[in-house]
Amino acid sequence: MNKFYHILKTLFLFGWSLFVVFPFLWALTTSFKDANAITSGATYIPWVDYEPSTQGWSSLFTTGSQGINIVGPFIDSAAVTLIASLVSLALGTLAAYGLSRFEYRLGFVKNSDITFFFISQRIMPPIVLAIPFFLMLKELGALDTIFGLVLVYIALLLPIAVWVMTDFFAGIPKELDEMAMTDGCSPIGAFFRVVLPNSVPGLVVAGMFCLIFGWNDFFFAFTLTFTETQLLPVSIVSLNSSVTPWWSLSAFALISVAPLACVAVIVERYMSRGTMSGAIR
Amino acid sequence: MLSSKHFFLLPALLTLVAIILFPLLFTIRVSFSSWDVFQSGLDYIGGKNYGRVFEDDRFWQSLGRLSMLSLSSVSLQYTLGFALALAVWKQVRGGRLLRVLFLIPMMTTPVVMSVIWRTVFHESLGPANDILRMFGIGAVPWLSSANGAFISVLIVEVWQWTPFMFLLLLAGLVSLPREPYLAAAIDGAGTWRTFWQVTFPLMAPITIGAVIIRLIEASKIMDTVYVLTSGGPGTATETSSYYIYIRGLRDFQIGYSAALSLVYLVIMIVSLTVIAKVLLRLLVGKVG
Amino acid sequence: MLQVDQLTTADSKVSLQDISFQFDAGNIYTILGRTGAGKTELLRALMGLNPLVEGDIQLDGQSIAKRPVKDRSMSLVYQQFINYPHLSVLDNVAFPLRRQGKRKAEAQSLAAKMLTTVGLGDFVQRRPAQLSGGQQQRVALARAMVKKSRILMLDEPLANLDYKLREQLREEFPRLVAGNDDSIILYTTTEPREAMELGNTMIVMTDGRIVASGPPAALFAHPPTKDAASVISDPPISFISGFVRSGALYFGEGQLAPNNGLQLPPDGPVTIALRPDAIEPGGAFNATIGLSEFSGSETIVHLDFDFGRAIMLVEGIETFEAGTRLSVSIQAEHLMLFASDGQNITIRTK
Repeated sequence: MNKFYHILKTLFLFGWSLFVVFPFLWALTTSFKDANAITSGATYIPWVDYEPSTQGWSSLFTTGSQGINIVGPFIDSAAVTLIASLVSLALGTLAAYGLSRFEYRLGFVKNSDITFFFISQRIMPPIVLAIPFFLMLKELGALDTIFGLVLVYIALLLPIAVWVMTDFFAGIPKELDEMAMTDGCSPIGAFFRVVLPNSVPGLVVAGMFCLIFGWNDFFFAFTLTFTETQLLPVSIVSLNSSVTPWWSLSAFALISVAPLACVAVIVERYMSRGTMSGAIR
Repeated sequence: MLSSKHFFLLPALLTLVAIILFPLLFTIRVSFSSWDVFQSGLDYIGGKNYGRVFEDDRFWQSLGRLSMLSLSSVSLQYTLGFALALAVWKQVRGGRLLRVLFLIPMMTTPVVMSVIWRTVFHESLGPANDILRMFGIGAVPWLSSANGAFISVLIVEVWQWTPFMFLLLLAGLVSLPREPYLAAAIDGAGTWRTFWQVTFPLMAPITIGAVIIRLIEASKIMDTVYVLTSGGPGTATETSSYYIYIRGLRDFQIGYSAALSLVYLVIMIVSLTVIAKVLLRLLVGKVG
Repeated sequence: MLQVDQLTTADSKVSLQDISFQFDAGNIYTILGRTGAGKTELLRALMGLNPLVEGDIQLDGQSIAKRPVKDRSMSLVYQQFINYPHLSVLDNVAFPLRRQGKRKAEAQSLAAKMLTTVGLGDFVQRRPAQLSGGQQQRVALARAMVKKSRILMLDEPLANLDYKLREQLREEFPRLVAGNDDSIILYTTTEPREAMELGNTMIVMTDGRIVASGPPAALFAHPPTKDAASVISDPPISFISGFVRSGALYFGEGQLAPNNGLQLPPDGPVTIALRPDAIEPGGAFNATIGLSEFSGSETIVHLDFDFGRAIMLVEGIETFEAGTRLSVSIQAEHLMLFASDGQNITIRTK
C-alpha cells in the first residue's frame, strides 16, 4: 500500500510541477522566436523546431517608435510598489501593535471592530472605488503620477500589513514589553527597542505580501495612469491589445514576473521554519 | 488628550479613512444621480438606479457566473493545495526546490500571466491544442466557446492561486502537534483514516481562514477576465466586476455603475459573512 | 520605605481589596498565597502595570501611584524567564543601565560583574535561548538587580524550574541578593516552606486580601485565622468541626479529643485544626486509610475518621494499604482551635 501511495505522490508532484513551469517554458521559448517560427502551429525546441532570434529581447530595450521600452515601466513599478509597501508596512505595523497592546474605545467601537474595519477593506472590489479615486486624484492634480498611485496603493496594502502583523504581535508575550518598561523604556521605546527587533519574521511576511499585491496590481494603475507614469502590468496589456509580436510580449512578461519569483525563495524559507503560522491565523 | 497608544493606531487609521472615506461617500452620493456621458453632474434621481439594478438581468447573471467561478476555483485550489502540502510536508529530497517552485505562480502578475496564457490557449498556434492533437484528442475551442472560455479562466485561476492555499496549509501542517499522530499510530490507523480523523480536524481553523481569504480575493476577479476573454465570448465569462467596469468606465454611466457597485459590495459582505459563519459551524462544530 | 494604602484594583480574574501595608528597607518579604490569591496582582499594581481603582503608593514619602512604569525604581523578575531574545546575555543585563544613560562600556562592565555574581560569568556572549531555564532566570535576576532599584520584586521566580534546581537556587538566593540594606525585596510563592525559608517577614494573601503578616516562624506556630492557617500549611491542615462542653474538647459528634496544654474556650462549637504532624501511628483513635502518597522522604496518608477526614505525615517511606484500619494518636501540641469567625483562639498554657 505504501508503495502505491509513493508512486501516486511522485506522479502527482511531477505532474503539478510540469503544470507550474509550463507557461514559463512556453514564454521562454516563444521569446526567442521570430515571424518564421510561428507560421504553422506551435513550435517548442529552439534549433530543432525553429531558428532562435533575439529580436524579442532586444526590442524591449530600444526606445523610440520601433522599440518597446521596458525600463521605464519597470522603474515606475518598482518606485510605486516599494514606496507604498514601506509606508503601508510602517503604518500598519504601528497600528497592529497598538491594537494588540492597548484598548481603544470610540463609543461602542472597540479593538476587534477597528481590526475588522482594516481587514474588511480587502472585500472592496476595485470597481467601487475606481471612479471616485479618479476624480479625487484629478482634484489633487495627482492623476498619472507616482504620488497619486502610491496614495491609492497605501489604501490597498495597509489592510494587509495590519492583518499579518496583528496576528504576529498576538504571539509576542506582553511581558516582554512590560520588562522593557520596568527597565526604563516608555511604551513607545519598548516597541522600538524590544518588540520590533523581535518582529523580523512577521515584518518579512507582511512586507512580502505588500510587495506582491502592489507589484501585481493592474486595475488601479490602469484607471489612474496614462502616459507619464506607466506600470508594468498596464504596459503589457496595452502591448497586448495593439499588434505586438508574441516574442516581444513573452520577453516582456518574463522580465515582469522575474523579480517576485525571487521573492518566492525568501517566503519559502520563512514558511518551512513554521514562523508563518502565527502570521496567518 | 493624546497618549502613546494613539501614536500607534492613529496614523494608519487616519490615513486609511482619509483615502477611502471620500471615494466611498462620493460613490454613495453619485449612485443617487444620473451622471453619465450625456450629462455630467450630481443631480438627484432618488432610488431609480437601484430599481434598475434589481431588474438588470445581465448583472444578476454575472453574479451567478461569479459564484460558479469562485466556488469551483476555490474548491479546486483548496483540494489541490492541500494535496500538494501533504505531499511536500515530509519530503526531504528536493523538498525545498519543490516548495519554492510551487510558490512562484502566486507571486506573478495575473495580467502578465494572462497574456502568456492567451498565447497558450490560442486555437491554432498555441501549445494547448497542439498537445491535445498529439494525444489524439481534438482541438478545444478554448477562447471561442462559452464553456471553453469558462474553463480557460478556471485553469488560469487554479494555476495562479493554488500556491496560496499551498502556502497557508503547509505553514499550518508544519506547526501541528505530534502527539495526535503518535496516538493514531499506536491505534493502528492507516494513512487515509489518520488524515480524516487527525489532520483534517486539526487544520480546520486554517482551512476556514484560507478559504475565506481566497473567496474574498476571488470575488474581485477582473484582471484575468479582462485580458484572457474580455468577458466573452459574448458574456460567457462576464463576472460582476467586469460588468460594472463596462457600465462605469466604458459606457460612462457613472451614476448607474455606482449603484451597481454598492449593491455588489453589500451582497459580497453579506454572503462572505454567511459563508464564514457556516464554515465555522461546519468545521469547528465537527471538531468540538 | 514603601507605604501602600487601601490599594484596590479591578480585574476580571483577581482584584486587590483594600490592601494596606508598610514595607521597610533592608527586608525580604515573602508573599504567600494560593494561585489566584492576588500575589501577582499586588506586584503588578505596585509596578504600575495594573491600574488602581483606589489607593495610594508612597515611596519614601512621595506618592508614585501616578508615575509611569519606568520612573518607579522597581524591578521585576517574572515566573516565565523573560529575557530579551535578540540581545546577548551581557546586553540583556546592560539594557537597563543603558536606559539610565550610562555609556556602553560602563554599562557592560557593570553587567559583567553582576553576571559573575550570579554565576554566569562564562555565558556573557550567549543568547538567552541557548541557556537552560535556571540560567535564564539568573540572567533575569542579574538584570533586575544591576540597576539597584529601591524595590526588587520576584514573582514565583522558581516555579517553572525543576525540583532540584529550585532547591539549589533557593539555597543560593540569600547570597545572590545580599548587600542591599537600602532596598526592599518582595518574593511571591505558593510554597509555604519556601516562604518561610527565604523571608524575614511573611505576608499571607487570600482572595486579594492580606490575611496575615509577621515573622514566618511565629505565623507558622500561630496563624491568626483559618484562611491563613490553610495557606501556610503544606501538606494541608485538616479542619474538623467539634465542640467544647464542660471543660472537655470533642471531635464531631462526641469523640473525646486530647486537650492537654490547651486553654479551652467556653462551651460551644469550635473548629479543630489538625496539623499533619499532629497524627502519629499507634494510639486511641481508629481510622480507615484512604489514599497514601510519597512526598520527598515522607509519606502522606489520608485518613477517614468517624468525625471527619485528616491528613497524617509520617517520616520515611512506608506503605499504608488503602481500606485497612489504623490506630493513631493525636497530639494536642499540634492541634489548633478556631472560633466560628475564623479567628485563632488557641491558647497554650505551658
